[in-house]
Amino acid sequence: MSTLADLAAPRADYTFAFLDEHAKREVRRSLLKAVCIPGYQVPYASREVPMARGWGTGGLQVTLSVIGERDTLKVTDQGADDSVNAVNIRRFVARMTGVVTTTDTLEATLIQSRHRIPEERLREGQILILQVPLPDPFSYLEPSRSKARELHADSDYALLWLRLYEDLTRRGEVMTGADHPVSVHGHYVMAPSPIPRFDVPKLHQAPHLTLLSAGREKKLYAVPPYTDVQPLAFTDVPFQIERQEGWVCAQSGVSGGFMTELPLPGGGARYVLSDTGLLDKLVRARRGEAVTVGETYTELGPEASP
Amino acid sequence: MAYVAARGGEAAIQAAEALALRHLAEVSADQIAWVEAHLSLLVDRVMGEASLYAPRLAALALVQSGGELEGAVLLLRAYRSTQPRIQAAQPVTDASMTSLRRVSAAFKDIPGGQHLGATLDYSHRMLRLDLLDQGRSALPAVSVAQTPAPAHAESVSLWLRREGLLPQLPDLAGEVVFDVTREPLTFPAPRAARLQSLARAETGGVLALGYANMVGYSGVHPTVGEVRLAQAEVTLRHPVSGELFSAGRVRVSRGEIVAPTPEGASASGGAQGSLSLGCCAALGWNETKLIAGGVLDLAMDQPQAHPALQEEFVLNHTESVEASGFCLHFKLPHYVTFASELDRVRAERTRNAQPDIAAFEPPEVSV
Repeated sequence: MSTLADLAAPRADYTFAFLDEHAKREVRRSLLKAVCIPGYQVPYASREVPMARGWGTGGLQVTLSVIGERDTLKVTDQGADDSVNAVNIRRFVARMTGVVTTTDTLEATLIQSRHRIPEERLREGQILILQVPLPDPFSYLEPSRSKARELHADSDYALLWLRLYEDLTRRGEVMTGADHPVSVHGHYVMAPSPIPRFDVPKLHQAPHLTLLSAGREKKLYAVPPYTDVQPLAFTDVPFQIERQEGWVCAQSGVSGGFMTELPLPGGGARYVLSDTGLLDKLVRARRGEAVTVGETYTELGPEASP
Repeated sequence: MAYVAARGGEAAIQAAEALALRHLAEVSADQIAWVEAHLSLLVDRVMGEASLYAPRLAALALVQSGGELEGAVLLLRAYRSTQPRIQAAQPVTDASMTSLRRVSAAFKDIPGGQHLGATLDYSHRMLRLDLLDQGRSALPAVSVAQTPAPAHAESVSLWLRREGLLPQLPDLAGEVVFDVTREPLTFPAPRAARLQSLARAETGGVLALGYANMVGYSGVHPTVGEVRLAQAEVTLRHPVSGELFSAGRVRVSRGEIVAPTPEGASASGGAQGSLSLGCCAALGWNETKLIAGGVLDLAMDQPQAHPALQEEFVLNHTESVEASGFCLHFKLPHYVTFASELDRVRAERTRNAQPDIAAFEPPEVSV
């Protein structure tokens, strides 16, 4: 006769991808809703995960809910795969799922990122998961989430336009930094997570799926493939990306990608590509190694000697 | 097993963690049990704010976090995320909890009696320096009362309801209780969501906002109708046989705060000429939480509540794990977003330094 012990699975302290299955299913249902209503912030319960709130717990819950055993995971923070928190998230997901991880955008099926979209073009089938601190573009204009929800429901974005207009008239420049509001498929306006303005055009009509999730605020939203994403801008004052003319990467010698400015002692600065996965490949290519560099969103400038 | 992309960052965080966790090398299971037994109010606070009654795990969380309270709460809540919810227990009633301490400030004596129970309220707050020398305290003798206090007592609010001073409770039998750990909180929050949020709110945050109210912001003048510390039976329904059974006892505490109903108040209150009841209950014993939380429950229903005492503000900003996590996340690298800001500041500077660049002319608007 079989005993209960024979029938039971061996004891495991934690399940595949950590969260209990009900939690994952709830996140996936919310994601489906988010994909159906591009740019709309879907509330979800948002479980606590073994990481502090504000440290990527929203992105992490989405990653844990959609990841499968055959996925290949890339995690970046500020474009860097070796940034401490990116390492920590990647280590945790790998530990809880056993999936293969990578720094190469081309190899990844899932990319969890904080504050950047990679420079190499994402393709159909890839999922980009952006960590979001403040999901509502009204955050600093209308702090009450209940009132902000009403404004979204009414498509009343006057406060956002007014903010841009006031910047122009009072300061001469639109002062939105890395969280420039974007209109998604002509309806909801969303906060792009924050990413630099340099990365905003990458979302427009992109072949990949972008999932954005804020764990602390318990909201997730999505940009499905081939969706219009337009930064809010006046017709006579075009949207501007960061001005990095003449900035050349000190390690790869290229220009044209988003650069990180590294202050030098005594003044001045040098620059390196913020996307370390790409940087790594460019450096290896210079050494004569065989690497595949994907097509990039922006043209990388002619190589100068670093 | 997985190929892990490793670079400098990984070695660094592993070394830093090892350095921080050296204290665990000397911790034994007995010492964790000691924390559970001797720092029980601290353990209670962690369990209450984590919404998980597990004294041994809470003690472990405290030890593992080096005593950092928000860290311990997060550890326990994260563990909670791995557990499915099986069912909602039967409601805890006055009759199903064993009262161990129960005092009312509203009346000199109350039905069932005032029972101080175990409290340090009236002790002299002097460090017992002798303990440092002797290492062991001589326990004062505890004598058994002639007539034991009644194990169960009706709440003072029940008496007030009978007198018509508080409105009757709605009949909630058969209603599915909203669960803030399973559903997102939106505002105005269901009553259950508000009480659950207060129960797991950070005690210091509840105290700060409750105190602001007590000293005059949208002032409610509170009277403590009752503060009760108890052991409650957790009664579940067997999933197969349908029989009710006890899964064990948990320490719970509940505060009832009463105040005259202000003009135009809603939710917790009754009509003019009656009282309103503010309620706060918690897993574990935490009297500060009960009183400050009960006052906030009342304050949130004030018709002209101060912005910092409105429901959305109070419940969103006393969330321990969310507030502490977000505060500390500013330590993370932000050089990309900062670069974007810097770009705008430089653009503004350039424009200011070159007055010949025409200032932006607002376009003519035709309607």
